[in-house]
Amino acid sequence: MSFSIDAQTQEELNLLGKFRQGSIYNLFNHVRTRGGEQLLDNMFRNPLGNASAINERSSIFQFFQQADLVFPFDVREISLMREYLDAGAGKSALVTLAGTVVKKWLAGLTRDERYKKMVQGLQATIVTLDKCYSFVETIQFNAGPYAERIRAAKEILSDKRLERLRDIDIYEALSVKTLAFYDHVLKGRLFDDMERILSFIYELDVNIAVSEVARTRGFSYARAWPPEKNILAATGVFHPGIKNAIGNAISLNRDNNVLFLTGANMAGKSTWMKSVGIGLYLAHMGFPVAAAEMDFSVREGLYSSINVADNISLGYSHFYAEVVRVKQAAEAAASGKRLLLMFDELFKGTNVKDAYDGTLAITEAFSEYRGCLFIVSTHIIEVGEALKGHDNIHCVYMPTVMDGPHPRYTYKLEEGITADRQGMMIIQNEGILELIGD
Amino acid sequence: MVFHTDEQTIADLGIFGKHNGSGIYDLYNRTHTRGGEAILKEMFLHPLSDKAAINRRSSIIKYFSRLNMAFPLSAALFDMTEKYLKDPDERTNSTRHQSAIGEKEIQQGVMSVITLIQQTREFIETPSVKGIIDYTAEREAILLFVTDPAFEPALREKGKGKLSYTVIAAYDILFRVRERHKIAQLLRLLYELDVYLSVAKVAVERGFVFPEALEKGLCVLKLEGVYHPELKAPVPNSIFMDPRQQVIFLTGANMAGKSTFLRSVSTAVYMAHMGFPVAAASMEFSVMDGMYTTINLPDNLGIGASHFYAEVLRVKQVAAELGRGKSLFIIFDELFRGTNVKDAHEATVAISRAFAGKKTSMFIISSHIVEAGGELRQRSNIGFFYLPTRMNGHQPEYTYTLERGITDDRHGMIIIRNEGILDTLKNGNKIS
Repeated sequence: MSFSIDAQTQEELNLLGKFRQGSIYNLFNHVRTRGGEQLLDNMFRNPLGNASAINERSSIFQFFQQADLVFPFDVREISLMREYLDAGAGKSALVTLAGTVVKKWLAGLTRDERYKKMVQGLQATIVTLDKCYSFVETIQFNAGPYAERIRAAKEILSDKRLERLRDIDIYEALSVKTLAFYDHVLKGRLFDDMERILSFIYELDVNIAVSEVARTRGFSYARAWPPEKNILAATGVFHPGIKNAIGNAISLNRDNNVLFLTGANMAGKSTWMKSVGIGLYLAHMGFPVAAAEMDFSVREGLYSSINVADNISLGYSHFYAEVVRVKQAAEAAASGKRLLLMFDELFKGTNVKDAYDGTLAITEAFSEYRGCLFIVSTHIIEVGEALKGHDNIHCVYMPTVMDGPHPRYTYKLEEGITADRQGMMIIQNEGILELIGD
Repeated sequence: MVFHTDEQTIADLGIFGKHNGSGIYDLYNRTHTRGGEAILKEMFLHPLSDKAAINRRSSIIKYFSRLNMAFPLSAALFDMTEKYLKDPDERTNSTRHQSAIGEKEIQQGVMSVITLIQQTREFIETPSVKGIIDYTAEREAILLFVTDPAFEPALREKGKGKLSYTVIAAYDILFRVRERHKIAQLLRLLYELDVYLSVAKVAVERGFVFPEALEKGLCVLKLEGVYHPELKAPVPNSIFMDPRQQVIFLTGANMAGKSTFLRSVSTAVYMAHMGFPVAAASMEFSVMDGMYTTINLPDNLGIGASHFYAEVLRVKQVAAELGRGKSLFIIFDELFRGTNVKDAHEATVAISRAFAGKKTSMFIISSHIVEAGGELRQRSNIGFFYLPTRMNGHQPEYTYTLERGITDDRHGMIIIRNEGILDTLKNGNKIS
């Protein structure tokens, strides 16, 4: 089982993309190594679909946040080591030795850099392995999932040959024989172990970077529950990309699986829906989330339709595009998946009446799916009145406070359906009817 | 007098087209000269608001369209003349500016000006051109230029063989220095002629009619068989507005053709105010002070305004113009869709009522708020029309022909049902 998300939803939530302004990926991308970045990217692309895996990963992040560790390695040395290991060596020890001798000889004669590279690569490997060993020795983490990783690393590093290697003082001359020996062993029999050590380091990089972000931004860790529990309960959910964002609580479960959100156009409905979507996505990655507290049962996917309606000039074709989008979501829900679906201002591109009918019918039909959770927002408050008979639909709204003639928004969710009827008020404030006169 | 309009209206009507698509302007643009093109563009940007001026221009084009004649001068002639005149001879300005054109171009330029003068003379002397009464003023102005004693030698020139260097030099002084602005004025008149003839050509080819402008303030619009000129197979409609019916409340489903109808009417009104032929069977209209349409109002999210607020600001802008006592032609398509049903209803009624009180202006308002119709019926000067939808099984079909009354046709729901969304959800696997 895996968590599925499509391109449109990723786009709307602005999740991925190293080169995109304000993407969530960039928010977390404080890793130091190339390998760490790849790993982070991989995590972002493949959220987990299993509660225990999620909880395990998030407990590791939590441990790192508490431990407040500093990344002990030198990034340049790690990339030298990577290069060194990737440069292949001869099949047998003898060929390697001969090759090393030739390289040294060539380096003396011409400006051949290979010998120097080889020496520096081995030196970087020695230093990195040594640092890694002292790191796993000092770290106090005897229980939990991460202990296993540390034990594995320790075991590799305790290999007799590596122990001798670590003891080499790099500021003393290295004999050609030693060079050739380690060149052969590290790239041969111990190559897989070296790979493991490097991925251990990359993981460490990600763990430290992510937990650092969580600490500085005040994120917290979500608890994952099995899918059947069907809950999403969080307090203080805010948008991680917005400074001084205001947090709001959400509580959805089997008996309360639809959240019906109303409010005026600028009141912050879309932003809050995005916050929930981002929060749930990060939670499925086992990452820290922008909330005070969060409990969720694992979903099989996330569908959203947010903000697309802003391009009203597309008119009818846009309406049709929205219909197609809802259809995809309907098919996913009907196939028996447990999803979170978010529809923001459905059918905004069409007339008020069609939007009313459409939103009402769609919301009613979806609300039957107790295994899925929904958030539906609209400015057509009449839909809320019509939905009052359904006890599994929970109504909240984003209020508007009038400061004289100017609307002000609190961004603080309140229970019920908004009574803000700004429409006529704005028309009166603008004095239009008087302007026309008689 | 200026005809008031704005960017929004010009964009709604697609006058100049968008980045790639062609606009109404391109449809009328058959000019041969660059100058003619520029004048045509000017005309499109500044329609007229004066009955006499509109009728005069319209009757000139109408006469030319009856003659169905081609522009008598070749475009190449103008190209060479323009290039030649654009480069001022160093003697015309005090700064010592080296002439950018060579002897060869000067020679060609002189030759083309001579040909231009001779051919123009020939053209305006033809009896059919003399017969256009409304063109008399322009014709005489042109005649005055080409028969100017200064140009007399040019008229005598036989045009056979090459002119000698000294003759060219003499003409060069004449055209580029002494009579420079006479030539420029003559060109301007010829550009206008180019516009008249090219628009006349469009009228003939497309079967457009010439509307009749009536006195301002009468508040009359009589349009028969109006259609949108850019459509391949348009369905024509007729509409009649006068003080007894100066507001039209239009209903109909989304695809039924409301916006297209509104565009057809407003394009006709706009073109008519330019004195141009329109895509209709016949048209009479009282001259207005301006027109404002709101068909595709963009959201301005950049400044943090919602769609509803954008709509309100637009209505306010129009209201302010109306408040100045102008007689305007106003179109609102799908008013107030950025708000909830109740507000949209109240606002539509309030605004429509207020509009109905402005006796010298005309309004067409399209809406889905059918209920608003009931309250608006109390005003006698509001007419109700709709564009019908016929259901052929589950597929909606459209007649695109206006009918009297109000419809509550909508098929957002039909589309949703046709896609089978509700059935999918009804029969889906509802786990809990």
